[in-house]
Amino acid sequence: MVGRYDIELYNNKVHYHLNVKRNITVLRGDSASGKSELIRLLSAYNANPESSGITLISEKACSVLTEENWKLFIESYKERIFFIDEGNTFLATEEFAKAVKTADHYFVIISRERLPQLSYSIEEIYGLREGDEAGKYRNATRIYNEMYQLYNNQFGNVAELEPITIIPYSRQRVVWEGADLRSCSEWYHNAINKGDE
Amino acid sequence: MLTIIFGDYKEANYISNPDMFFDNTYEDKWLESDLAKDIVKDIDKSDLEGPNLVVSPVLGSIPVTRISGGAKTLIQIAFDSEHIFNASACGDNCAKWLLKIGNDKDIVVRMGHVMHFPEESFDIKIANTGDIVHTPYELVEKVITEGLLD
Repeated sequence: MVGRYDIELYNNKVHYHLNVKRNITVLRGDSASGKSELIRLLSAYNANPESSGITLISEKACSVLTEENWKLFIESYKERIFFIDEGNTFLATEEFAKAVKTADHYFVIISRERLPQLSYSIEEIYGLREGDEAGKYRNATRIYNEMYQLYNNQFGNVAELEPITIIPYSRQRVVWEGADLRSCSEWYHNAINKGDE
Repeated sequence: MLTIIFGDYKEANYISNPDMFFDNTYEDKWLESDLAKDIVKDIDKSDLEGPNLVVSPVLGSIPVTRISGGAKTLIQIAFDSEHIFNASACGDNCAKWLLKIGNDKDIVVRMGHVMHFPEESFDIKIANTGDIVHTPYELVEKVITEGLLD
């Protein structure tokens, strides 16, 4: 499964517009930005697509993975976009990482945890925010949410920075693998600035 | 004081999914407190009217089980001292509340990421090393140099 997929999911209160383009997309950001509501909405849609009152527009089918169903769904389905809420313990397992590597699916993972066993780009770490299209959709009862890139613009792309000698390899590795890239990148740039002084 | 355990933590009293745990264990009296109301107002921009009702500007009238995972986690950290909660369920907008709760009582949380704390002086104890850090820079530096999330 390759390519870029637009996903719209909405009811009478909230409208999500997501764009995923790699096999792993990570959603982070502030609490109450609508991440878990996105999962709740998709679960409700899948429980009863025609009568849920929820609309999903997506070229590929979308499902929510849980502790109970993740193995079965990954093995059984073809070319799906799977959403995973934070708090699922299977996210940190090698078994899940192996399944992701060989699967022909896309995964949208909500987690602030380090996921070192999964290979994903820092450019595919997003938050949710009230979108530019809010004017189009916003009325008394609907909020429009879209994804925004968390770690590419504030300091430039950390992954493209030249390694510097004053920071041992292990620290660079943490920065690139991203425990929390915003904090780490600030630390990284502070270290660079100190090195220049 | 706020004490943070970084990385893996697998003791029996650890709650990795505070969102779900809250839904099944919260006590009504927690939600009648000013602290819980202030947390929900600040984090969720919603009014916690009582144990059975939250009024959200987006979702309308909702049960307390639909407030954010971050708000649920903060409320549990404030009122349930028997468990250690996964504070990686909290976004950066919860950081000031962790400090505030930690100013009033000793609390211990676990984190699998580095939270972005406010640029102000604070006392946070890192349980892994015993160090007390006072700025976001010190915190990040300690986590990285000690490899606490490796």
